[in-house]
Amino acid sequence: MKKLSAMSKMYLIFVFAVLYAPIFYLIFYSFNSGGSMNNFESFTLEHYAAVFEDSRLIIILLNTVLVALLSGLIATIIGTLGAIGIVSIKDKKMRNTLLSLNNVLIVSPDVVIGASFLILFTMIGVKLGFASVLVSHVAFSVPIVVLMVLPKLLEMNTSLIDAARDLGATKRDVLMRVILPYISPGIFAGFFMALTYSLDDFAVTFFVTGNGFSTLSVEIYSMARAGISLTINAISGLVFAVTVLIVIGYYFINKRSKSVATGGHR
Amino acid sequence: MNNTIIRFENVTKSYDDGTVVLKNINFELERGKFYTLLGPSGCGKTTILRIIAGFTDASTGDVFFNGKRMNDVPANERQVNTVFQDYALFPHLNVFENVAFGLRIKKVKETEINDRVQEALKFVNLAGYGNREISEMSGGQRQRVAIARAIVNDPEVILLDEPLSALDLKLRTEMQYELRELQQRLGKTFIFVTHDQEEALAMSDEIFVLSNGEIKQSGTPVDIYDEPINRFVADFIGESNIVDGLMIEDYKVRFAGKEFECVDGGMKPNEKIDVVIRPEDLEITTPENGKLIVTVDTQLFRGVHYELSTYDQDGNEWLVHSLKKADVGAEIGLDFDPEAIHVMRLNETEADFDKRLEAYGDEDYE
Repeated sequence: MKKLSAMSKMYLIFVFAVLYAPIFYLIFYSFNSGGSMNNFESFTLEHYAAVFEDSRLIIILLNTVLVALLSGLIATIIGTLGAIGIVSIKDKKMRNTLLSLNNVLIVSPDVVIGASFLILFTMIGVKLGFASVLVSHVAFSVPIVVLMVLPKLLEMNTSLIDAARDLGATKRDVLMRVILPYISPGIFAGFFMALTYSLDDFAVTFFVTGNGFSTLSVEIYSMARAGISLTINAISGLVFAVTVLIVIGYYFINKRSKSVATGGHR
Repeated sequence: MNNTIIRFENVTKSYDDGTVVLKNINFELERGKFYTLLGPSGCGKTTILRIIAGFTDASTGDVFFNGKRMNDVPANERQVNTVFQDYALFPHLNVFENVAFGLRIKKVKETEINDRVQEALKFVNLAGYGNREISEMSGGQRQRVAIARAIVNDPEVILLDEPLSALDLKLRTEMQYELRELQQRLGKTFIFVTHDQEEALAMSDEIFVLSNGEIKQSGTPVDIYDEPINRFVADFIGESNIVDGLMIEDYKVRFAGKEFECVDGGMKPNEKIDVVIRPEDLEITTPENGKLIVTVDTQLFRGVHYELSTYDQDGNEWLVHSLKKADVGAEIGLDFDPEAIHVMRLNETEADFDKRLEAYGDEDYE
């Protein structure tokens, strides 16, 4: 690749600085012993300590992770089977219609999804809380998983399925021994995406959560409204760190699957 | 003893949109032979293979395996294994596991799997490659893995779908020898699909020449090469000079403005026919000694021989394979034996062709 000119470099640095500055500003003050974001006094971990001492916050954190893991898992199962189903549809028109319906869900605003779920849950009388949050998170994660799994499925050579059947594999064997192992990078990617979407979802959760159940983003929102506390900064810093870790994990899985894929087609 | 392993009875295949891929296919395949389905792309040869494997259903007609009708037996319960054109090896499994796939499905004991996979790998000269990833294997090696994966299951029939088409020329020739040898060592029925006539001639016990969903001719490589039934087969198998002619009476044929003695018969007097003479049967002589007098148009050096394109006075092109060189633009004579002339009736079916061949052939030996 050609080396970037000085101007391009400056521009890149500027863009990333604007994007990341608020986050680092926030994290920076989470270590401030001054109690406000005006002037930095000295380094302290007391706000982080406060987060871990606050048992209510810890429970909310656990709730958030639990909802993310569970919804990610369920959405991955439903989404993977859905993708396999969509690919196996021979009628092109039907297939494209289903795919478009899937994509509409991804681009439609969270507010719309949240509000419609709220109406649905109140209509059928579901108590708002863990279950309602979980169901709605699964709902918005499924299309994402489908979108991540689909390319791997389309890339798969159909003669692999013929080969497996030729070697005596039943339909179940084909699914378990050929299709699922082949698309597993896509499944992992889908799971991680679902996990991050669930972890930082605010809008949908805000609508469908009820008394006594809250997730981190909703809690941070209400804390921020109540007044400035550097505990928020500390939690945000922790969430940011976890997100970065997930992105790194996703990167490595992606890299591994790429080397397998390119190797297979050489 | 009945030696038939696969029999097609009036098999047709057409798709919903009305395209007909196979028209009334009938044949019998014997155990332990090397068969080739030969034809240009789109002639239906791969469809026949897929019907035998069970990936595609015949629209009408019956397919018998060992005397039992197997139209409704699913692919995974058939005693056949396929080597695919693109090999279709599982990229997420290593070489050993690819070969072991069929045995694991059948829940064979671990020690037996190990023995049989090692043996199969040894058979295709890949002993010691078990732990390699598929991505680390070359094209020729992948080809061998695909063959090992098929033979390890000990099927009665092995189907090969243009398995050599992705290899370079040298490797392809090598694999032709290996495949033929492998088939003879295993003693299994091989059904090989290809569009490459050289491959077909080199390896087969019997060739089926297909075109437009029909079997045009079947027979040993020598039969098909020496006695092609029609213009299509003559043109498709090897290089040929095909000209219009007139069968004056038995053993007397007229083409290129002259009458010639030949060994064919059994047609009506003065019937219109096609005449085939193979380029290697034409010999260059002086114009005075030649049965045909032609002008050399172009000459190509092919390594083993010179390939001459020549024209006679009527404008018929005569391709000549000669060890001797000629001068471009010069007038030369072409000599050939009566046996070199092969006469083909227009629109003759294979059954009629065989009958006629038998009738006048007998006369010869009386």
